[in-house]
Amino acid sequence: MLSYILRRLLLMIPTLLGISLVVFITMAAAPGGISSQALIDDFGLNPQEKAALQEYYNRRYGLDQPAPMQYLRWLNNVSPIGFELREDGSFGDFSFTKGADLGDSFRYGRKVTDLLAERLPITLLLNVLTIPVIYLVAIVVGVQAARDRGGSFDVTSSVVMLALWSVPTMLVGVLLIGFFANDQYWHWFPTSGLSDRQALDMPFLPHWSSFGDVLRFFGAALGGLWLATLVGRWPSKTVRTLAAVLAAVALTVWMVSALPGGGAAWVYLVAGVAIGLPLLGLARTDYRAFRIGGLGLLGLVVGGAAGAVWMEGDFVRGFLLDRLWHLILPVICLSYGGFAFLARLTRSAVLENLQSDFARTARAKGVPEQEVLWKHVFRNSLLPLITVSAGLLPGLLGGSIIVESIFSIDGMGKLAVEAVTGRDRELVLSIALIGGFLTLVGYLLADILYAIADPRVSYD
Amino acid sequence: MTDLERKAGRRALRHKRYAARILRTTFRQWGARLGLLWIGIVAFVAVFAPFLANSRPLLVSVDGVVSSPVVEALGAADVTWMVAFVTLLLTMLLPIGWGKRIVVVLLAALASASLAPRWFQPPTLVVHEHHREQVARGAYDWQVFPPVPYSPRDYLRDQGDTGFQPPSRAHWMGTEENGADVLSRMIHASRIALGIGLVATGIAMVIGVIIGGLMGYFSGIVDIVGMRLVEIFEAIPTLFLLLTFVAFFGRNLYIMMIIIGLTGWTGYARYLRAEFLKLRQQDFVQAAIAAGASTPSILFRHMLPNGIAPVLVAASFGFASAILAEATLSFLGLGLVDSPSWGQMLNQAVRSSAFNWWMAIFPGGAIFLTVFAYNLIGDALRDAIDPKLGGSRAA
Repeated sequence: MLSYILRRLLLMIPTLLGISLVVFITMAAAPGGISSQALIDDFGLNPQEKAALQEYYNRRYGLDQPAPMQYLRWLNNVSPIGFELREDGSFGDFSFTKGADLGDSFRYGRKVTDLLAERLPITLLLNVLTIPVIYLVAIVVGVQAARDRGGSFDVTSSVVMLALWSVPTMLVGVLLIGFFANDQYWHWFPTSGLSDRQALDMPFLPHWSSFGDVLRFFGAALGGLWLATLVGRWPSKTVRTLAAVLAAVALTVWMVSALPGGGAAWVYLVAGVAIGLPLLGLARTDYRAFRIGGLGLLGLVVGGAAGAVWMEGDFVRGFLLDRLWHLILPVICLSYGGFAFLARLTRSAVLENLQSDFARTARAKGVPEQEVLWKHVFRNSLLPLITVSAGLLPGLLGGSIIVESIFSIDGMGKLAVEAVTGRDRELVLSIALIGGFLTLVGYLLADILYAIADPRVSYD
Repeated sequence: MTDLERKAGRRALRHKRYAARILRTTFRQWGARLGLLWIGIVAFVAVFAPFLANSRPLLVSVDGVVSSPVVEALGAADVTWMVAFVTLLLTMLLPIGWGKRIVVVLLAALASASLAPRWFQPPTLVVHEHHREQVARGAYDWQVFPPVPYSPRDYLRDQGDTGFQPPSRAHWMGTEENGADVLSRMIHASRIALGIGLVATGIAMVIGVIIGGLMGYFSGIVDIVGMRLVEIFEAIPTLFLLLTFVAFFGRNLYIMMIIIGLTGWTGYARYLRAEFLKLRQQDFVQAAIAAGASTPSILFRHMLPNGIAPVLVAASFGFASAILAEATLSFLGLGLVDSPSWGQMLNQAVRSSAFNWWMAIFPGGAIFLTVFAYNLIGDALRDAIDPKLGGSRAA
């Protein structure tokens, strides 16, 4: 296994070289290309300053050399072994210990490594939060859709998931910000960034000023949860429908009356339909775990919100809560496309295995259905899910380009946009390299997971 | 030889029947039907955009002389769209295969694109309010305006400040910050969405089919080199590659099409390679080789029709992702500068200081519906071709 991993890691080198070559050729072949002239064109300088700055860039980055030389120079800087670079830009002796250097960014004038060290954790944080959400929803929905093949849950979830998969991320981002982080409508969430400035001075955990407030907040949240699960567990569909209609009406009235300036009749209608339809669907579905879980989560959130309104004293939300509060909308934006895609995949994978011989054998020998599903069928259905997870990481990195620019989060995605629009050679190449490396690591991880999930797979 | 020919003819016939059967099963599903309906609507709107949304009247009568200002102002692009559309409709009546049909439509579009600029030269100076003023002055006996009587770049300067108006009877989908009608801009932007989807996917498919076909047929060293190339292109996040291309090469519509095509070919190459690896072992290919058929003939006449199905399914999803790619680039401010596109309109909604829902929901909804329509068709097509294929489409 170890030798396999080592071999794969070594095989990454030519691919990474190829990636940097593709990106470099793109930049060099473009009209204007990478020259000091293109870099400082829009600075509005007088001729002498321009000439001086060009001279400076040329010396520092070797921009006056032909493109192949520039590439080799960059390659030499990046590789851990090679020729040492002298102060005046010429090459010194061959060295094995000079270390890798991603160079300095043109625009920021800082080391690319520093910039990446600042930005990469933020994007990774977004992705680390998103991936569990994607898998949880995908598995919960996909497995049930497969069991309910052709039933109402299957048909509805298939259409809904395909629709969700087709919704452009920027539309969701724009609408979420527009409606839920905006003074014109409901200002529930922060508009941009990852934390408020005040939050940096706050303690890590939230603080309540009085014990009564703690009781109010948690009491309301738990009360909401209890009420919602009660409805969710109720056996009679009519009662659940009635409760859902009541809850939808209450929520609609509460939300629309909270609008600045109130709402016209058609606003009530639109909001009522938008809130009522998913709520009704949730309350009426026969999939018990999904129903109780969904309604419970909803009850918890609504109860918590009501509790927060109900609190009287000062409340310091603390760094952690503030960060989470900022992350909710971006994570929604990043995750829905992923779980929509993965749920459909889970469905087809589970469906195939449900009809297989080994599942029939297991049932025939008297294994309970739940056990057949999770121990026999699901375990086998994991394989395609793992295969796809390799492509999920680069997909999320791409998605974070959009999400980070909508929510003004200073992560890799935003850095990428800034880098390409600023024609920042070192930065563009480094981001391509990092992105490619993460993708290849994703593939490798998927292959390793494959061997873990399926004992038949072995790489030795 | 005649025997062989007859055999080939019979195979072509069976192939046609197979294709017809696939299409029938695909469009038996209501999802695919709705998808096709929406694409049809968008195509119709795109082709006849100048007749649907224009500040010029369709027909006016001045002292008994009837003229059509819209037709007089048609540009080469408008004519090309219409020629392509009419040719497509005409070829639908002829009993020929889809390959030939596409070639005929392409040729017609190319011919009209190169010839039309000679005859159709729209006036360079456009005064959008001209006809409204004429009407107000009573210069026309009668006039017929298009359903949306505003051009996409008609900023309604004669009507005072019309920026950021919510939907009303005059502007069904409101106005944007400069005062132009949102619906009119959306109608004209549908051309970009449709055109980019078609051309970019076409380019990606041609590249993918050639590279994938060569990899699958020759295998060995060609395969290894090709797969490394595929891997390289897949390892760079597509959006980042697109951004780099667009940022460095400018924002021309045609460059965008080529770039989106250049970054999207890997999936097709993978699918065709897998199919060809299977096919080349089969008897009919071996027979073709033994009969001395030339390599291009084996590749494109014998193997391609048998291995194209997964590529077509991928293409249907490819239309969707090409439209999304253009919208995303425009949204990030790297799209077209000179003409409105759905993504750019969404970007406008974000950049304005206040949130105006009509500027976000309508263009965003149009992107969503078009992407959804292509995905619905692709889904149904995949189920029809091979139920087991479901889910093999990794990112």
